[in-house]
Amino acid sequence: MTIPYNTLVVAAGVAAVGFAAGVVGSLGVLRKRALAGDAAAHATLAGVATAFLVSGRRDLPVLLAGGLASALLSLGGLVLIRRFTKTRDDAATAIVLGVSFGIGIALLSGITARGIPGGGGLEQFLLGHTAALTAADAALLAGVSIAALAAVWLGLKEATLVAFDPAFAAASGWPVAVVDYCLVALVAVMVVVGLPAAGAVLVTALVVIPPVAARLWTDRVGPMLLVSGCIGLVAAVAGVVASGLVPRLATGPMIVLTAAAIFFVSLLFAPRRGWLAKRLGPRFPLTVE
Amino acid sequence: MAGEDRHQGPHTIEFHDVTVAYGRRPVLWNIDLAIDAPGLFAIIGPNGAGKSTLLKAALGLVPLAGGTVTFFGKPFADVRRRIGYVPQRETVDWDFPVSVMDVVLMGTYPRLGWFRRPGPAERDCARACLGRVGLADVADRQIGRLSGGQQQRVFLARALAQQADVYFLDEPLAGVDARSQDQIFRVLSELRGEGRLVVVVHHDLRTAAEWFDGVALVDMRLVASGPTASVLTSDNLRRTYAGPLDVLDEIGLAVEQARRTR
Repeated sequence: MTIPYNTLVVAAGVAAVGFAAGVVGSLGVLRKRALAGDAAAHATLAGVATAFLVSGRRDLPVLLAGGLASALLSLGGLVLIRRFTKTRDDAATAIVLGVSFGIGIALLSGITARGIPGGGGLEQFLLGHTAALTAADAALLAGVSIAALAAVWLGLKEATLVAFDPAFAAASGWPVAVVDYCLVALVAVMVVVGLPAAGAVLVTALVVIPPVAARLWTDRVGPMLLVSGCIGLVAAVAGVVASGLVPRLATGPMIVLTAAAIFFVSLLFAPRRGWLAKRLGPRFPLTVE
Repeated sequence: MAGEDRHQGPHTIEFHDVTVAYGRRPVLWNIDLAIDAPGLFAIIGPNGAGKSTLLKAALGLVPLAGGTVTFFGKPFADVRRRIGYVPQRETVDWDFPVSVMDVVLMGTYPRLGWFRRPGPAERDCARACLGRVGLADVADRQIGRLSGGQQQRVFLARALAQQADVYFLDEPLAGVDARSQDQIFRVLSELRGEGRLVVVVHHDLRTAAEWFDGVALVDMRLVASGPTASVLTSDNLRRTYAGPLDVLDEIGLAVEQARRTR
């Protein structure tokens, strides 16, 4: 069987997204910002729907710009709630996630109910559906992903320092808040470009599961980023392939299930940290000279 | 410390009327304290006395509700590079995927500035600092696979890599084995020998009397400060440790001890 050219291009684009999501997600997870990423992901829907209503078209760049705007807006709201109320982190995140997702769903169902032309395909942003992507869309996703990777390469030293020891970073003169905002914004960008593939509900999985699985295989940040990127890539491609083979199959769930399977295998078989290694191998002696 | 008369120019560190509050709850009141290099200086007091807060206030990590802190007569922001810092060991996640070498290299980051990566010069510096704390042979190990004392020495090595003139250490001897304690004190004494000032938040009165040149007794306010021998008097200690809560603590300890001996 021959694979259509469009499917190949889309697969390549989504593969780039999967890789970059795994890399950026690693920094987010190391800084313990996984939940903030989830809130941003759920918030994208409202922006996507608003962008559609305002522009009246289903142009991917426009919709994603809208998604990014509402994701950043929700993260800003999170910062404000934390600063001006005594709400705990987890509760604040849950509030922002719930409210922004509620707005998104309300807009989406409004668009569907009124039968606005072109609005029918918007559910693809809920659970992901790559079969509808064009080659131009894929190129956009890949371009943004490569830019995100470049940003990580540039600021890896600063991000690692702040993630490991923010107090030391602040005392030695690094603007911890600025680094944090950049990091979370980068996670938001990856969540947004992950939308067409995984959808608002499941895209976090692409940013969180690969890093957690990768951590089991290595004890260093650099290798963790690479392994996480590769896991994200494999999961993303598996989603595209499944979506291409089975008509109308949502891509998001396939991506999540593949990533989860890799995580489960890592949990069992990773050297030293895996269940099997802990069970069989001699426990690593804690060295006290 | 001793010999304030012969002191010329600005103090190495000067706390002037420093007050710190968390929300509306004040934790430090009107601290006036001047410390001069070289020396080993301990900040001592009961739990919750604000010792760590005093240190964080000096480093700009908590906002001052009032007063000023100056280094060499200048605000902290102007002399940041000359100040090294060892946070409490429990403040970081030791499962973080970095090696001992990676952590020590972080001490060189301020010199590197934005985006520049450590090169051979920084690696040599980090290796030398690891050697000074006796950890040269575990440079490539993940930091979680070290003992508590070794982890504390990694933090000390990172501070050494900062090549500072003033060092702040927050409880560097908490939960540390005897060997690490000796090594840490040896390095701190070396720093004093090089003309630097080392300020340590400390909890153990016995080692304080033995090792430190100067002491400040803190219990939300400054109870006493100066040369160790003249400050660590039973009267001063009673005043520092005799808050109503601590009386309860002492009773609790006595009860526990009685239960154990029974």
